[in-house]
Amino acid sequence: MTENTEEGVVVTRNVWKIFGNRADEAMEAVRRDNLSKADVLEEFGAVVGVKDVSISVGEGEIFCIMGLSGSGKSTLVRHINRLIEPTGGEILINGANVGQLNAEELRAMRADKIGMVFQNMALLPHRTVRDNVALSLELRNVDAYTRAQVADRVIELVSLQGYGDRLPSELSGGMQQRVGLARAMAADPDILLMDEPFSALDPLIRRVLQDEFLELSKSMNKTTLFITHDLDEAIRMGSRIAIMKDGEIVQVGTPEDIVTNPADAYVADFVAGISKLKLLYAHTVMEPLAAYEARKGPVAQAEAPVAEPDDDLDKLIALSVNQDHPVLIKDDGNVVGVVSKDAILHGVQGEA
Amino acid sequence: MTDTTPDQIGGAPAAATDETKPFADFADKSGGYFAQTFLSIQKAKLPSTHINWLAAIAGFPWAAIRANKMLFWIGFLIDLVAAVYLMQVWKFSRAAEQAVIDGKDFLVVRYEDWTMSSLWAAVIIFVLGRVLFGWLADRIYFRQYNVWRVDHSKPSGWDMKRLIWAAVIVAMIAPLMLYRASQFPPEERTCIKQARSIAAGEEVAFKDQFDCMIIGEFPTIVWLERRDTVTYPRDDDGNRFVRREAPRDGLPPVNLNSYTAQLIDDGIGYLTAFYGFFFDGITTFLRSMLSAITAVFVGTPWIIAMGAIMAISYTMAGARITIFVAASLVYLALFGFWQTAMDTMSLVVAASIICVVFGLPLGIWVGKSTRGQAIITPILDIMQTIPSFVYLLPAVAFFSIGKPPGILATVIFAMPPMVRLTALGIKHVPENTKEAALAFGANPRQLLTKVELPQALPSIMAGVNQVVMMALSMVVVAALIGAGGMGFIVTEALANTRTGAGILAGIGIALLAMMIDRVVQKANTVKH
Repeated sequence: MTENTEEGVVVTRNVWKIFGNRADEAMEAVRRDNLSKADVLEEFGAVVGVKDVSISVGEGEIFCIMGLSGSGKSTLVRHINRLIEPTGGEILINGANVGQLNAEELRAMRADKIGMVFQNMALLPHRTVRDNVALSLELRNVDAYTRAQVADRVIELVSLQGYGDRLPSELSGGMQQRVGLARAMAADPDILLMDEPFSALDPLIRRVLQDEFLELSKSMNKTTLFITHDLDEAIRMGSRIAIMKDGEIVQVGTPEDIVTNPADAYVADFVAGISKLKLLYAHTVMEPLAAYEARKGPVAQAEAPVAEPDDDLDKLIALSVNQDHPVLIKDDGNVVGVVSKDAILHGVQGEA
Repeated sequence: MTDTTPDQIGGAPAAATDETKPFADFADKSGGYFAQTFLSIQKAKLPSTHINWLAAIAGFPWAAIRANKMLFWIGFLIDLVAAVYLMQVWKFSRAAEQAVIDGKDFLVVRYEDWTMSSLWAAVIIFVLGRVLFGWLADRIYFRQYNVWRVDHSKPSGWDMKRLIWAAVIVAMIAPLMLYRASQFPPEERTCIKQARSIAAGEEVAFKDQFDCMIIGEFPTIVWLERRDTVTYPRDDDGNRFVRREAPRDGLPPVNLNSYTAQLIDDGIGYLTAFYGFFFDGITTFLRSMLSAITAVFVGTPWIIAMGAIMAISYTMAGARITIFVAASLVYLALFGFWQTAMDTMSLVVAASIICVVFGLPLGIWVGKSTRGQAIITPILDIMQTIPSFVYLLPAVAFFSIGKPPGILATVIFAMPPMVRLTALGIKHVPENTKEAALAFGANPRQLLTKVELPQALPSIMAGVNQVVMMALSMVVVAALIGAGGMGFIVTEALANTRTGAGILAGIGIALLAMMIDRVVQKANTVKH
């Protein structure tokens, strides 16, 4: 059980999920004959929900899984706490195989290690905010006094002080989702599963909650799997992004990877509409000084604005407006490259 | 609209414009007429008096030729009913002649009356029916056009060959119907005698045999030998044993109904004779439970009981309902129903407790398991559809008369809503809250007690309310087998046609029901 501890906190290995009465038969057939999704549907009347997914999420990482509805992202994330049993493959959490836990161990793992936030909040309508937040503790038979203490502390974390005795129905959507988040964090789990947590909220509230979550996540260092259908959100939140389509992972990479090197036309299509201002950095768009000077003549180094390799497009644009010189990129005082206005414009279009 | 006989205009589809061409194509013969009619139906401009007179005169054969099944059956039914009345005219006038010959004057008058009224009925039904048929004809035919427009393989147009089918159907139905209307049905006894004489090998006229088979009651096909008479006397040691006696020689066989009824009686007799301890045990349990509850309701002096009821109603449902409760209690007390009402209440409470104790787990099972649903739902359907009087009888057979069988009959009647509403509540618990609880490590028991039951509670409480209401209504019926209480006053009043007493007790029961209902419902809405 100790084999892959370094590999990641949450690891899925070749996970398959096929829905239908003849799922096992279909699984065998797929392994044997490498059938396509359509073949499986036709031959076995079974639907492939998740197709051969292997990911590894490191400690403290926010790993976004992005895909349209029906792409299997929610199904995939439910395998991690075994709300759904995989048809094939295995899931490891801290190296332990989730599929081999017995019912009691599984419940303990769900209660202690994994917190989950749902798109539709899924709060219990008959319980106060405090009792909702303390649900996972209550399910583990923690005494009422400790529960209230912990719940109040977590409620404060999500800035809902004073709402502990309200019912969920008295709260706005954004506040309800804060309760959902608080509930997920009450047991202080290592892993957070966020299933489109902010999708049902209006854009302003969503932005606020995203920022708050990023703050919290930085300070609490939780390994997070964050499901979203919104690429903007994935880019904002994720340290890495996996793009899913038809149950398959199409591409995994940092937001910049995805935006600059889309793996296929599908991803490229997604990325097309994304603002690159915060995603492209000087080191990607810059060219060597010599190459620039060979084309355009020498650069007046004293007057040209200066930036660092890690500055993003946004910053470069701010530096280069209202003047004719290109931006010099210096690392530790040495010129490592130069960014012309043309390069910036290409960058904005995503053609680094 | 009515100055030309439409179908006789004959094949004018050529004149149809593009707009009306599909109509004309559909109608085939008289295309022009139907094009105009259907167009005005589509424009909602068809006069409400529009009648297709050709259809009205031709009747159902017209519908057959046009292949409209609905119109065919409507038209055929109208003509058939008119013809049946005509046959009755013949039947009664012949009977009147016979009565004249027999010299029975009162019969003559009666049969002549019936002859005249049948004649009028035949004429009126025929004339009005045909007018109705003509009125419906184009309107229903237009629907057929709508079906045909979607699927051109559906029948359309004008085809005389369809008359053959119509003739077959008429030939299958009309002769027997008309023959039946022209004959007086034979008496059941006559037919039984006839069956015996046939069995004995005697000649019976074909007409008589035919009448017994076809007219009147469905003929008795199954004849069975009588069963042995079974009794369960005690032997010298006091133990029961089975004694069979063969039926006397020469007794005629019995039909299926009597045979099976006897079989059921024997079965019940056997169970009560050899497993009486089981039923006695249930009776004892019910009796002791009831006596404990009765001790509370009847044993408490009226002044304390009234105060307690009003206090409960005030804390549960507030002041306004308590005023109503107080008024109802005063009614019961003033008209001398206090003890009886409390007696009834004890029965209701006992029955309701049993219903809830058994109904709740059953309901949870039905709500959570498809197998539970498959097993229990038909049983509940049976419990609810069997008339309540029917299970009073087996209750008496197993538990004799008195309050315990009354409670059991009440439980059977009042339990289904508890099971159904509990199951409904459990089923309607949102999937996502259950999933959330599971994701946080709930075990099945916690899922039930912390997520499902609390969210199903409003539905469960509605079930309890239903149980109490239905128990109250059944307890009244159970008075027939000696359950006593308010129902006894009502049944006694019914037996002796003491209308006033019955109405007063009935109002008392209604007040009792409303009291409980208002308090329980209000308590529910206050909580949620």
